[in-house]
Amino acid sequence: MKLQWSPFWGLYSREILRTFRNPFVLLITIVQPFMWLAFFGSSFSLLPASELETLFGASNYIQFLLPGVLSTSMLTVGMFGSMSTIQDKRFGFMKRILITPTSKGLVFVTKALGSATRGLVQFPVMIAAAIAFGVSFHLSPLDWFAWIVTLMLLAIGFCSLFLAITARSTDWQTPGVVSNFITMPLMFASAALFGSSHFPTWMQDISNVNPITFSALLGRSFVLGTAPNWAYLGYLGLFAGTMLTIGYFVSSRWLAVE
Amino acid sequence: MTEAAIVVNNLTKIYGSPERGVKALDHVNLTIPKGMVFGLLGPNGAGKTTLIKVLTGITDITEGHGLVAGFDIQLQPMEAKARIGWVAAEVILDDDFTARENLWLQAKLQSLTGWEERAEQLLEYFSLKDRADDKVSHFSTGMRKKLEIALALLHQPSVIFMDEPTIGLDVSTRRMLWDIVTQVHKEFGVTVLLTTHYIEEADALCERIAIIDRGRILAEGTPSELKARVKADIVQLETAEALDSGALAAVPGVQEVRGQGDGWTLRVTSSEEVLPRLFAAIHPDRIRRISVEKPSLETVFLEITGRRIGEDEPIRDVRKFYAQMQRARR
Repeated sequence: MKLQWSPFWGLYSREILRTFRNPFVLLITIVQPFMWLAFFGSSFSLLPASELETLFGASNYIQFLLPGVLSTSMLTVGMFGSMSTIQDKRFGFMKRILITPTSKGLVFVTKALGSATRGLVQFPVMIAAAIAFGVSFHLSPLDWFAWIVTLMLLAIGFCSLFLAITARSTDWQTPGVVSNFITMPLMFASAALFGSSHFPTWMQDISNVNPITFSALLGRSFVLGTAPNWAYLGYLGLFAGTMLTIGYFVSSRWLAVE
Repeated sequence: MTEAAIVVNNLTKIYGSPERGVKALDHVNLTIPKGMVFGLLGPNGAGKTTLIKVLTGITDITEGHGLVAGFDIQLQPMEAKARIGWVAAEVILDDDFTARENLWLQAKLQSLTGWEERAEQLLEYFSLKDRADDKVSHFSTGMRKKLEIALALLHQPSVIFMDEPTIGLDVSTRRMLWDIVTQVHKEFGVTVLLTTHYIEEADALCERIAIIDRGRILAEGTPSELKARVKADIVQLETAEALDSGALAAVPGVQEVRGQGDGWTLRVTSSEEVLPRLFAAIHPDRIRRISVEKPSLETVFLEITGRRIGEDEPIRDVRKFYAQMQRARR
């Protein structure tokens, strides 16, 4: 597996530049998690602080919710990465890329990393929104860095998963269908929105191996100032590495050109 | 290494399973010398685009092999791809990028260094310098085509594949593109493999032509050599009432009679000599319409296949045209 730096940089930069030149995609990427905070985050706003402490271990539900929403939004990022690849196939741009000495595996890697990076655009916006909703942050620079790495690893994993599943597809509808199929069970069977201690056993079993749970818990420990479990970061690294490797081999073999 | 730019040996491509799939290329053999504009002429579905896809490494080969710029496209695809340029039937650019950024991306994909000066020269050459920093989505179709050719030339390729480059273009843009292809070939000395189903395009641009139909190469030669194969004129005849083919075949100089009823295609030694005899045999009042074709690539195709280019698949052509137009507008 020899990395071609020049095509890598070209395609990765293209992914990032295109995001900032498509105001609508950028707007949706930013607004969607913001809406989560505004609407879902406000659903417990009349609950007394003592009950919030009991239920969520936080005096403000948004403080509890923010790491979870940031984690689940990385699923959407995977869907956008997959749609961008299908657009390249349908408009013929994939052919233009693959007629040059650029491998299918490299195209996959740049799509996965580019989409994951694009997803991190949400991070500063969400932090600003949470501050506007009354959340205060007391994170060390290491905590901030570790939180970003956590989300990046989760995004790489999900982008790779989406891209691998849709490698052969040229149908616009496929990423949406896959997203609907994956997003809901992974989001609700995780500790992203609520603590998992009140889940039934079968949901706890899913939540215990769900990468969204590990990302949400790690992020929550940074926000709430509790001791982080660094093993979660290792687990997310393993998830991202495994998905990236699987996606690389799947795309190298089966990525449809048109 | 070989002196030929492209060598295709016994190449077969089947889409789907070998038993029940569609045979797009059927044991194709071709040798295209360096520095030539070579035309692949055939109707839609003949296998032209498939041959380009195979030679550019976009699709696998079922059987046989192909060399491009001296490299086996299956065994050394990356070496071959570093030496080829490509101009698509549809204009394929990144519409979110400017002309200069499209060139930058192409340079990155080809791992080029010191490409900036050549990019500027190409922008100048194709009269795009003034618009180099505009998004290509604002370009006219002609400008987009020019930029696409500039992208194909940026890494100084040995071979450029042009897959029906003028499909869907208006007459003046098509003429402009013909001039560009001729100039590019002359000034950059690059081998061009051009596919087309436009007879006049093949005749105007190509030094040698292969006629392809249903995945098979049926004839190959210079336009003059191909036309010389048809030592006859073609007379198309439509009569007011049904005729007996024997009556037409009996006219001196008529070599072959095809058709029935009131529609006929006659192959004659010389139309100047045969027409007076034909009018003597069939009273002019009985003739509704008559036309004469001197040897052309169209008559060569008719001679070889028994039908005209595009006669079978007008709907596919229209679909391709609209797809191209939609992409050009995006």
